[in-house]
Amino acid sequence: MACELKEKERAGVINPIFTCQPCGAQYASIGIRDCIGVVHGGQGCVMFVRLLFSQHFKESFELASSSVHEDGAVFGALNRVEEAVDVLLMRYPHVKVIPIITTCCTEVIGDDVDGVVRKLNEGLLKEKYADREVYLIPIHTPSFKGSMVSGYDVAVKDFVSYFAKKDQPNGKLNLITGWANPGDVTALKHLLAEMGVDATVLFEIESFDSPLMPEGNHVSHGSTTIEDLTGTANALGTIALNRYEGGQAAGYLESEFGVPAIIGPTPIGIRNTDTFLRNVQKLTGRPIPESLVRERGIAIDALTDFTHMFLADKKVAIYGSADLVVGLAEFCLDLEMKPVLLLLGDDNKAYPDDPRIKALQENVAFDMEVVMNADLWELENRIKNQGLKLDLILGHSKGRFTSIDYNIPMVRAGFPTYDRAGHYRYPVVGYAGAIWLGETIANTLFADMEYKKNKEWVLNVW
Amino acid sequence: MTRKIAFYGKGGIGKSTTQQNTAAAMAYFSGQKVFIHGCDPKADSTRLILGGMNQKTLMDMLREEGEEKITADAVVKRGFKEIRCVESGGPEPGVGCAGRGVITAIDLMEKNGAYTSDLDFVFFDVLGDVVCGGFAMPIRDGKAQEVYIVASGEMMAIYAANNICKGLLKYARQSGVRLGGVICNSRKVDREREFLEEFTAAIGTQMIHFVPRDNIVQKAEFNKKTVVEYDDECNQAKEYGELARKIIENKNFVIPQPLKMDELEAMVVKYGIAD
Repeated sequence: MACELKEKERAGVINPIFTCQPCGAQYASIGIRDCIGVVHGGQGCVMFVRLLFSQHFKESFELASSSVHEDGAVFGALNRVEEAVDVLLMRYPHVKVIPIITTCCTEVIGDDVDGVVRKLNEGLLKEKYADREVYLIPIHTPSFKGSMVSGYDVAVKDFVSYFAKKDQPNGKLNLITGWANPGDVTALKHLLAEMGVDATVLFEIESFDSPLMPEGNHVSHGSTTIEDLTGTANALGTIALNRYEGGQAAGYLESEFGVPAIIGPTPIGIRNTDTFLRNVQKLTGRPIPESLVRERGIAIDALTDFTHMFLADKKVAIYGSADLVVGLAEFCLDLEMKPVLLLLGDDNKAYPDDPRIKALQENVAFDMEVVMNADLWELENRIKNQGLKLDLILGHSKGRFTSIDYNIPMVRAGFPTYDRAGHYRYPVVGYAGAIWLGETIANTLFADMEYKKNKEWVLNVW
Repeated sequence: MTRKIAFYGKGGIGKSTTQQNTAAAMAYFSGQKVFIHGCDPKADSTRLILGGMNQKTLMDMLREEGEEKITADAVVKRGFKEIRCVESGGPEPGVGCAGRGVITAIDLMEKNGAYTSDLDFVFFDVLGDVVCGGFAMPIRDGKAQEVYIVASGEMMAIYAANNICKGLLKYARQSGVRLGGVICNSRKVDREREFLEEFTAAIGTQMIHFVPRDNIVQKAEFNKKTVVEYDDECNQAKEYGELARKIIENKNFVIPQPLKMDELEAMVVKYGIAD
């Protein structure tokens, strides 16, 4: 009876949980205002990623490709970057920030993206766009390393380190949310507003939930500004909610500018939200107001209505990014559920030293497997061939077929979620997230009871 | 300020030999702190400094133990006169991508802070030609700012040198790299010095030093030593000392103007069929 941390033993990947690093860099870049990223690689490196964003948010996002072809792979493709930057600037007069995001192909052929940025800065930008404010930022995200999660981490750090500049203290708190949904950002900003804390949120992506206006359709983008990024060096402190999705940037601000950093825990569930609020208090000196104590009470009341009766001992498998998966697992434990299988979609060597994973290893009193570098076959194989019985799956839409084929109820969480309407609008973090997650899990199990005629009558008398 | 230097030149011209002998002379005669990063998959750029020590390469370590096990202490070895050495290594011949290996190796060394600020010189010893983006890594932005090309009076060595200049030209604007000169590693061919002088003048640089051919270089090599270590009194040791001094004092950094094929052919004909 113990929690076992292991690597996927099988070679190869069947149904990956993640896509590759450039996706993460692209997700960070769409969070910045007046920013269009150029992905230096084949067109698919943008096309499929944009498709994921569009599927998840049902919105359109702007990302460009340098469109490397066979000749570029042979002869070097930096000319494509030069042309791409020129075309972007000509066509989009508002664009200021252009991250140049590398891919597997352009890293292997050794295209010197840092060098071409210098060349463009001294050439094209001076000659043709002298009156424009333009920032070209090389972001190295070879696809054969890490995952979309590490790519996000790299990009957040690169944006912050490019712009952050020491000036007068601004009295603000940096909040690096990690790979979040608009609903999460709204929930986090609500908590900070209740505490009276002025924060720079990286990234301001509430606007990914975009309106359809009388004047026509609209391309979505985030609203983090260059000034926001520049000011991160002058903050009271930084809280990076997710260790692997923005933790590097928090560490950078601490070591470079002495901005104290607190990294984690992902505020999923009551106890992690409590810790988050205490951390905000620690960095800002602001007390936790009565209003939040009340919200906490409402969340606990909501959860206790169904937890013991319906969730106790339910076996759960969770997959996705480590911060989300561990956060969800902790929440499940608090709801008396048994998260028996955690699948982490990449092989970050820091996972075994993660205090949250160590805590699971020390405290869990039933059999739990945590598989690193996992794919979705790790889940399906256990169900199909190894007799794993599950009551619930938590994860993103890529695992929907396992749920459908084996009649296991599933609650969507993580990126990408495209097979349920409007999920991005709801938080998983904060007290609001605890209520939404808990109730969604409960309602999903209720629907399953009815569908399978499994003690569905209980609900008559609940 | 650490000066970072890349050595290029045709395969077999004596790049690694010249580079190591120069490093040894710099350390011995001028007390310079030198770091050699061998970027040749054959991993033979530091043998003379380390006394033939069989060094585990960065790529071996990456393959066998993983990136997180790599530290500067684990891969950097000290040899003659405390010269620090690391070999990138690379894939087995015929597989993988050696160019990517060079990129990965230099990135890893930078990430691990191996090129410390107390160094006077970092030498990148690069295999042959600037054949692909990977082999241009040492001259990318923020890396080597100076290049020396090792050549001789042989036709193919000049072709290669001219070709390397084409690569440099490409990077000169975007990374700021400059050519510091051509080192003639003499093969005792006719009118070698004149040929090199005319060629270097034509591409806009200097022949920084004419290293005469001397058997003691081979003798020292058999003993797994640089000439300076083997016999610091001999003439060849003084020649390397002179080359080292010229590099230390060099102020002549240019963007080369490589010759067109017909110009190069004409020059080769002029010296090649002289007799």
